[in-house]
Amino acid sequence: MGQILSGYYIYMLSILLIFIALATILHMQFGLTGIANFGLSGIWGFGMYSCALIILKLNIPFVLAVILATVLTGIISLPIGRIILDLDNQAVLVGTLAFLAIIETLVISEKWLTNGVLGYGPVNYPFNFGTYTKFVYFLIILIFTIVLMFYARKLESSPPGRLLLSIQDNEPLSQSLGKPTFRQKLVFFTFTSALAGFFGAIAAPVYNFVFPKYMGPDITFTLWIALILGARKRIFGGLVGVLATVGLFNVVLETVVPIPSQYAGILYNAKYFLYGLTLILVLMFRPSGILGDKKRSKNIKNIGKFEKMEG
Amino acid sequence: MPFAAFLKSTFIIGLLESAPLMLAAVGFTLIFRLNGFINIGYAENATLGAYLAVTFNAILGWNFYISIIPAALLSGVLSVLTYLIVFRPAMKRGVGKTEMIILSVGVSFFIRYGISLIWGSRLYHFDIAKTHYLSFFGMGITSTQLICLGLALIIALGLYLFIYKTTYGETMRALADNEELAMIAGINPIKVSVLVWFLSGVAGGLAGIFTGVFTWVNTGLGWHMILVILLVAIIGRVGDVRGALIAGAGVGIITTAVTLVTQPAYGVVALLVIFIAILKFRKVRV
Repeated sequence: MGQILSGYYIYMLSILLIFIALATILHMQFGLTGIANFGLSGIWGFGMYSCALIILKLNIPFVLAVILATVLTGIISLPIGRIILDLDNQAVLVGTLAFLAIIETLVISEKWLTNGVLGYGPVNYPFNFGTYTKFVYFLIILIFTIVLMFYARKLESSPPGRLLLSIQDNEPLSQSLGKPTFRQKLVFFTFTSALAGFFGAIAAPVYNFVFPKYMGPDITFTLWIALILGARKRIFGGLVGVLATVGLFNVVLETVVPIPSQYAGILYNAKYFLYGLTLILVLMFRPSGILGDKKRSKNIKNIGKFEKMEG
Repeated sequence: MPFAAFLKSTFIIGLLESAPLMLAAVGFTLIFRLNGFINIGYAENATLGAYLAVTFNAILGWNFYISIIPAALLSGVLSVLTYLIVFRPAMKRGVGKTEMIILSVGVSFFIRYGISLIWGSRLYHFDIAKTHYLSFFGMGITSTQLICLGLALIIALGLYLFIYKTTYGETMRALADNEELAMIAGINPIKVSVLVWFLSGVAGGLAGIFTGVFTWVNTGLGWHMILVILLVAIIGRVGDVRGALIAGAGVGIITTAVTLVTQPAYGVVALLVIFIAILKFRKVRV
């Protein structure tokens, strides 16, 4: 039992949780607000690298480093959002992709700071409970992921959340009603990006050594495929999608089914091949994803209540 | 290096190095002009073209220049197939523009990792005999590479003339501008669309081959090109073939200049920063 708790399984499950959290953040950005963020893994990776650098270069304790990394990620997301969020969706998409490419290129090229493709570390766990260290840390990630999902759920029925929904449905209309749509979008983008940075920071000890490939476009697309497959407009869309993609391939296939090492490369290629195929089939035949579109009846009831209050 | 010589070599090397990029950007722009969405899957035309050419050339032992032709044509066929099987039905179902891009990412992954499954993950090199090493403005280059760059430039310009100066080109532009009007004028939309996707795929395949000649062929080849292609297309105003040619040359010259002064990674970063600035400045409606 102790071996399972400290070994590869718990590592894979921790990574899985972090992916679920990221897919949920993507749900909030794209599903809820319509921000097509193709740079999410770059923002996440920025949090991860800043946390590792703050701990190892500045000798700052872990908790403070996580807070600093989160704030830093928010600080760089603000100008990114300021620049791209008033553009149309396709421009947002290529703009964020370009930001991802810039961050990734710099992480690789600035070897004096990040050690390039060789990876940077080691980032150790902030505590030591012997064989239970990884398990306790897993539980902490679990708690944060659950809190994030509660926040996403609360958001949908709160006034700022409804404003975000209305921005996605018809931005000019909300603008004409005097709503500060751009500011709302910017604040929300910065906040959720900082959240992504936070999950990057707490992912650093799990990986121990951080590599530029962890923040590459493949990760962003894995998250996109997961969210679209699950259901972009549902809170559990990210969860279901990540379980059906990363969970199935990285956890079930790689750890439960023993695969001879000479086939490992084929499995990797087959994974992304099937991801691509899945994405095509879902978008063509069930664009709303496995869970389908959200029933809006609850929202309508709320709006009714709201009107009564005003009347 | 004196400044005048620096400018001269930057200009000439940049122009030559950007030739495959210009070719790829023209192909990319054709599809955008016709269907109005960003096709990330276009990257894989370049990858497949390079893989097919390297297979004919290095594995089957054909002459390099002969192996280019079927490889480019098959790459065009792939492009038409993605159009007929995926993109056309998706457009008919009314899939939104953002979703079309995500869909094209799916197509890209599907083809790229399909290629990995067939060819494996190793690198391939072109087998070119009887090549001469030349020194060209302080840059080492082989005669084959020089010929390839020349060919890329000629084909890109030829494609441009085809689109603006021939009747076929006119029907393509007509269809892109106003589909209903074009149909009233008796243009068969499917036929012309297939021709556009074919030409675009051929251009992409050739660009991939001409890029692969300089280094090697691996599955990331097209993927590494696509962001720069996208950038060139957007800087040159998406949908404008002339703009794509000019922007392609400009991007090549800027990258070369920054690379000569510092290191290649900063060239990419500078380019991306300029790109984002242009997105913002123009408030592009891509």
